[in-house]
Amino acid sequence: MRYILTHPDTRSLAPAAAFSGRLAEAGLENQLDWLFGTALTGFPGLAQGGQFPVDLYQDKDNTYVRAELPGATRDAISVEIVNGSLSIQASRKSKSTEGEESVWFSRLISLPDDVQADKVSASYENGMLTVTLPRTEESKPRKINVAIN
Amino acid sequence: MSFFSTFINPASSVRAESDQHPPIRPRFEVEETDAAYGLTVFLPGVSKEGLEITDEDSELCIRGKRATAMPSGAVALHRESSDAPYELALTHDNTVDTGKIVAEIRDGVLRLSLPKAESAKPRKIAIS
Repeated sequence: MRYILTHPDTRSLAPAAAFSGRLAEAGLENQLDWLFGTALTGFPGLAQGGQFPVDLYQDKDNTYVRAELPGATRDAISVEIVNGSLSIQASRKSKSTEGEESVWFSRLISLPDDVQADKVSASYENGMLTVTLPRTEESKPRKINVAIN
Repeated sequence: MSFFSTFINPASSVRAESDQHPPIRPRFEVEETDAAYGLTVFLPGVSKEGLEITDEDSELCIRGKRATAMPSGAVALHRESSDAPYELALTHDNTVDTGKIVAEIRDGVLRLSLPKAESAKPRKIAIS
């Protein structure tokens, strides 16, 4: 209780960074950062187990899905389109004192209808996976000149 | 890990808030062997060029800027990641031989090896 009274009300300070350095216990602080960081950005349990953050972008030619997968084993990254959804699976080898263990991640993302599933490509750079999904010709914005009489 | 206590000084917090994106603290792991500390920092989106590592006054500071590779004109429909840079400041005692720190970044994972100074290594004393 005393701890709460001697510090400003941290709950009103929204950015997770505001919590940094307030707690003496490094492990706890890290965990709190982690909790608040995930709560604020709105995705549960990123990279900790199973899920990872994903962004969806679109321009006139393509839809892009970008996923944060730091340290993933390149050979084990699998990108598939199943029933109109994009399935991303990856694994990361994590070294611990007991030896190596693999951590698996997977996520299923619903795709817009206008994706040309047979022309999908993917790249992996700096720990970010970018999947490029070309849009069908019909869905691309078109300019139609209408003659006005 | 008693040798590493985390700490961001008030000055850096103030500076951070004035930026467009306040830096976020990356996820990291520390391990210890007899010869060195191993630090693993997860920095997705950061390339070698966007990374800055300093060790000053027993404070190891890692700053990473993301290399955003989205084509111009692409509009975000849904975002879960952030464009904020990463910042991690860790204090250590003087048992780290700062001249021999080795860093390597690969696929968004930074691995740092911080060798212990000779004086800090465990020593077996022979009994005569």
